[in-house]
Amino acid sequence: MKLKLEQSNRLVSLALYVGSMFLLMEWVYPLDIVTDTGQSHLFIVFIVVMFALSLIHLPFGLISVIKIGILLLFIHHVFFDTAFFSTEWLKLFFEEMVFNVQESVQQNWQTLTPVFRTFLFLILLWMLSYLLYYWYVVVKRPLAFIFLTVLYVTVLDTFTVYEANIAIIRVFSLSALLLVLANFHRIVESESLTEPKARQFIKWLAPMILVIGISAAIGYAAPKYEPQWPDPVSFIQSASENGFGSGAGFGGVQRVGYGEHDDRLGGGFQMDDTTVFYATASAERYWKVETKDVYTGHGWERSSEGERIASETGQFPEISQYGDVVAREESSLDLQMIEPGNLTKVPYIYGTEQVGTTNDQINFEYNLVTNELLSLDNGDQTLVEEDYSIQADRPDFPRNAMREVPVAYQESSGINQDYLQLPENLPDRVSNLAGMIVSEEDQNRYDYAMAIEDYFSENDYEYATEDVAVPDEDEDYVDQFLFETKRGYCDNFSTSMVVLLRSLDIPARWAKGFTGGDRAFEQDAFPEAGSDVFEIQNNNAHSWVEVYFPDVGWVPFEPTIGFQNQVDVSTGESIDDILDDNQDDALDQPESSEQPDVDNQLEEGEEENDSEAAGTSDDSSVSPWIVISISVIIVVLVGLLIYYRDRLVYAWRKQRLKRHANQATITESYQFVMKLLAKKGYPFKSGETLREYAKHADQILDGRSMSELTHHYEQFIYREDSFQSDQSEYYRLWKKVTDMILSK
Amino acid sequence: MNQEVTEQQSQIQALIDNIETVVVGKRETIELTIVALLAKGHVLLEDVPGVGKTMLVRAIAKSLDLDFRRIQFTPDLLPSDVTGVSIYNQRDMQFEFQPGPIMGNVVLADEINRTSPKTQSALLESMEENHITVDGMTRDLSSPFFVLATQNPIEYEGTYPLPEAQLDRFLLKLKMGYPVKQEEIMMLDRTTHEHPIETVQPVMTQSELLAKQEEVQGIHVSQSVKQYIVEIVANTRKYPLIQLGASPRASIALMKAAQAYALVQGRDYVIPDDVKYMAPHVLAHRLQLTAEAKFEGKSDKELLEDLIKKTMIPVERG
Repeated sequence: MKLKLEQSNRLVSLALYVGSMFLLMEWVYPLDIVTDTGQSHLFIVFIVVMFALSLIHLPFGLISVIKIGILLLFIHHVFFDTAFFSTEWLKLFFEEMVFNVQESVQQNWQTLTPVFRTFLFLILLWMLSYLLYYWYVVVKRPLAFIFLTVLYVTVLDTFTVYEANIAIIRVFSLSALLLVLANFHRIVESESLTEPKARQFIKWLAPMILVIGISAAIGYAAPKYEPQWPDPVSFIQSASENGFGSGAGFGGVQRVGYGEHDDRLGGGFQMDDTTVFYATASAERYWKVETKDVYTGHGWERSSEGERIASETGQFPEISQYGDVVAREESSLDLQMIEPGNLTKVPYIYGTEQVGTTNDQINFEYNLVTNELLSLDNGDQTLVEEDYSIQADRPDFPRNAMREVPVAYQESSGINQDYLQLPENLPDRVSNLAGMIVSEEDQNRYDYAMAIEDYFSENDYEYATEDVAVPDEDEDYVDQFLFETKRGYCDNFSTSMVVLLRSLDIPARWAKGFTGGDRAFEQDAFPEAGSDVFEIQNNNAHSWVEVYFPDVGWVPFEPTIGFQNQVDVSTGESIDDILDDNQDDALDQPESSEQPDVDNQLEEGEEENDSEAAGTSDDSSVSPWIVISISVIIVVLVGLLIYYRDRLVYAWRKQRLKRHANQATITESYQFVMKLLAKKGYPFKSGETLREYAKHADQILDGRSMSELTHHYEQFIYREDSFQSDQSEYYRLWKKVTDMILSK
Repeated sequence: MNQEVTEQQSQIQALIDNIETVVVGKRETIELTIVALLAKGHVLLEDVPGVGKTMLVRAIAKSLDLDFRRIQFTPDLLPSDVTGVSIYNQRDMQFEFQPGPIMGNVVLADEINRTSPKTQSALLESMEENHITVDGMTRDLSSPFFVLATQNPIEYEGTYPLPEAQLDRFLLKLKMGYPVKQEEIMMLDRTTHEHPIETVQPVMTQSELLAKQEEVQGIHVSQSVKQYIVEIVANTRKYPLIQLGASPRASIALMKAAQAYALVQGRDYVIPDDVKYMAPHVLAHRLQLTAEAKFEGKSDKELLEDLIKKTMIPVERG
C-alpha cells in the first residue's frame, strides 16, 4: 500500500494523521501501569516511527522491508543482548517464534513468551497505523476511533488502577481538534473552496485551539459531582447484599473489602471504591478491626472464640494496654458508616479508650483475644447509621525502649504460647530465611522486626493484586510467596512477616482492618470537620503485623510494599539517642521512597470468601490484558466493518430483495445503488432525472445495465404498478449493476 | 410495455413523419405541436415571417383530414370577423348565422399581436371555453379544435402585445427558427416542381385523433410526478428574478402536456423526464421577469432551465 497525501488537502490530512497518532498513544500509556509491560515508551517510539514512515512516499515493498527491519530492531533492543547484526539472536528469535506458533496452535496461551507477545503487539501497532491512515486521511471519519479511545480510557479508569484524569483531558482536546479539522475539510470540499495556505490555516485554527483549550480548562477546573453510582464492578456483583444490618450476608465473589474468612488466602481481586465509612481524623490512622493468631499454612484462624467483656459506659481500657514508656496523645474521632457490607465490628484506632454512639439501643463489648470491638443491638452484631465516637490516647511507640527487648524474651504471661504458633509442616527454608535476614542485625526484637519489615522491599518482591498465586493443598502460603512467586498483596506480606518473626521466637500476630483512606473533600457525613475527614473505601481494607514488646505492648509493623506504618514511632529520650536513630528513621519508611507511584488505591484487603476465591481467583478479576485485547479486537472489527460495510449491506439487501420484493425493499435497493455510485464519485444531482443519471452511470460501467435497471425502477415508481412480473428481471439487473460498481 | 400504447405511438410517429415531408428539419417543433394537439391545447408560435408556420398548420390539417381555416389578424379586424355574424335573411325573414373562421378544426391565427386587444380576446376566450356566444346564442366549436397562433417578436412596430392572462391560454409557446443550410437546400429540392403540401395525404382520421385525445387523459401521472410538477411551478413563484410566477393553471397545463408527451414517447405513464422536457415550453410564456433579469439579458428559458436544475426530482413512490 502506498500512502500518498493528496496535494489539495495535505495540511488537514497531515494534521489529522498526526492527531490520530497521539490518540493511538493514549492506548499505550496505561500499559505501564495496568500491565507488567514496563517499557511502553518503546511502543510510543515505535508508533511515531511507523507513522512517520507512512508519510514518506516509497514503494510498498521497500517501506515494508524498512518497517520489518525496525520491528526487529525493537525486539532486539528489548530482549536480546547480542549484536544486532549477528545470526545468533535471529536464530534464537526464530526458535522462539516456532515454539510460540506451536503453543498457539495448541491454544496454550499462558505459555506464550513475552518476545512473541511483543512481536504481535508491534505488528498490531503497525497495522493500526494503516487503519488510522484510512480513517483519518482517506475517508476523514475520525469519530469512530475517538469514541473507542474514550471508551478504552474510561473503561481502564473504571476497572483498573489506571487514573485517566489527565488522559481524558488530552483525549478530549485532541478529539475536538480532530473533529474540527475533519469538519473543516468537509466544508472546504462541499463548498469547493480552495484549500487555505498554511498561514491562513494556522490563523483559522488558532481561535479553535483557544476555544478547545478554554473548554478543557473549564471542564477540568469546574466542580464535579462525586460518583453518583457505586463502583460498577462491585455494584453488579453485590447489588443485593450491601447496606446496614445485612452484616450476616457473605458475598460469593472475590473483591476487595473487609471479610471474615481468612482460612484460605491467595488469588487476585478487583478494586472496589465503595465507601465503607467516613471518619474524622487529623492524619491517616490504621483502623483496626480484629487480630488472628493461628497460621494454618493456608490462612489464618483463631485458637479460641476469646473472651468478651462488656462496658456500660463504652470505656475499654483493655484495648490500649501500653506500658508507661509509651507516650500518649489525646484524640477524639467520629465515624459514620456508609456501606459497611460485611463489616460488622467497629473499626478503631490504636490507643482507643472509649467508644460511644447516640443510638441508645447499642451496647459495646470488646474481645480481649480477637481484639474485636462489637456494637451490639440486643446481642446481635450490627453497625448503626448514627455516628460512632471514639476517645483515644494515641500511642507514640518508643523505639529505644523497644530496642532493649531481647529477641527471645521469656514472658511470664501466656503471650509466648499463644503467639509463637507455627504449622508443623512449615518448610525449613522459611526459618532459615528468617535467620539469614537478621544475621547482621543487633540482637533485639525491634531491629529484627525492622529487618524483616524491610526485607521485602529490598529484595525484588512485587506488589500485585492480580495473578496472585493460590497455594495447592500441599503447599504453604508463606513459603510459596517467599520463594516461588514473590508477588502478592498485604496478606502475603503481613502473613509472611508474622511467620518469619515467629520462627525467630518473636511473638507476633496478624492484624486486620483498614488503612487510613483518603481525605474526603466532598462529603456530607461531617460537614463541619472541613478537610479532616477521611473516606475509607473497600479498597482500603488491609492487613498488617503486630509484634509484642514487653512493657510497651503490641506494636504494628507494615511490611507491605508501598504502604507506610500509620502509627507514631518516636526516637528516644536523649540527644545521643536521636543521633543514633537517624539511621533507623530512614529505615522506618523505606517503602515510600521506593514506591512513590503506588498510591492508596493499591491498598487491598481480604477476599470476602476465600474458599471460593481460591478456585476462581484468575477468572473473576478483569485482567487489563483482556480489556486491551477486547478493545483492540473491537477497533479492528469496527475497521473491517467500515471497510466492508458496502459489501455487508449489499449481502443484506440482496437477501431482503430476494425474499420480499416490495415497495420498501425495491426502493432501498435502488437507493443503495445510488449510494454506491455516489461513493465512487457519481452522485445523483439535483435536477437530474433517473434516466439521465443512469445514462451517466452506464458510461462509467460500460454497458446499459443501469439504464435497464432504471427503466424497471421507473415503471415501479412512476407507473405505480404492482411490479409482479418484472421482479426477477429487476433482481437480476440490480445484482449485476451492484456487482459492477463494487468491482470498480 | 402496453401493446395499445405502442400502436398509438407508431401512428403518431407516422403523422409526424408525414408532416415532416412538408416542414423540413423541424421535427421537434412538429412533435411539440402534435403534443399540444393531443393535449387539447393551443400553440403560440413566435417567429419571423416565412419560416414555415403556415405550412406547418396546413400540413397538420391535411394529414389529419381536418377543416383548416386561417385568420389574418390586422389592426382593423373586428371580433365578429373571427366568431361570425348573424345576418338578416330577407327571404326567410330571419337572422341567419354566418360562422366565422373560428368554426374550423384547425385555425391559423396569423400575426395575432397585430390586432386590437378586443379582437384578440374574442379568439382567446373561445379557445379556452370551446364555444362562442354570438347575439345571445351559444354555439359549440367543432371538435377537434386546435389554434395555432403566430406572433411577430414583440419588439416589432405596430403590435399589441398579448396580456399575460391571454398568454396563459396557450398550452405551448414555440419557436420555429431558421432551418440549417442542408435542410434549406432539401426544402428547395422538394419545391422545385410542386409544393409538397399539395400532395400530402391524410394519415389519421378525425375520430382516431379524438380517440388519442381521450387516451392522453388516461395516461398515468404518479403522485411523485405530480409533486414534481407542483414543485417546479411553485419554484417559479419563489425564484428571485421572476416577478410573477406561473399560475395553478400552469400546473394543469404542464401535467397535460407531459401526459401527451408520454404518449408520443410510447408510454402510458408520465416520468419526470417528460415534465422536465415540457416545462420550458409550457411555462416560459407564463412568467413575467423582473426588470433586473431583463436588464441582465436573461431569457425566460434560461431562468427556467436553471430553476429546473435546482428542483430535486422525486425518485421514490410518492
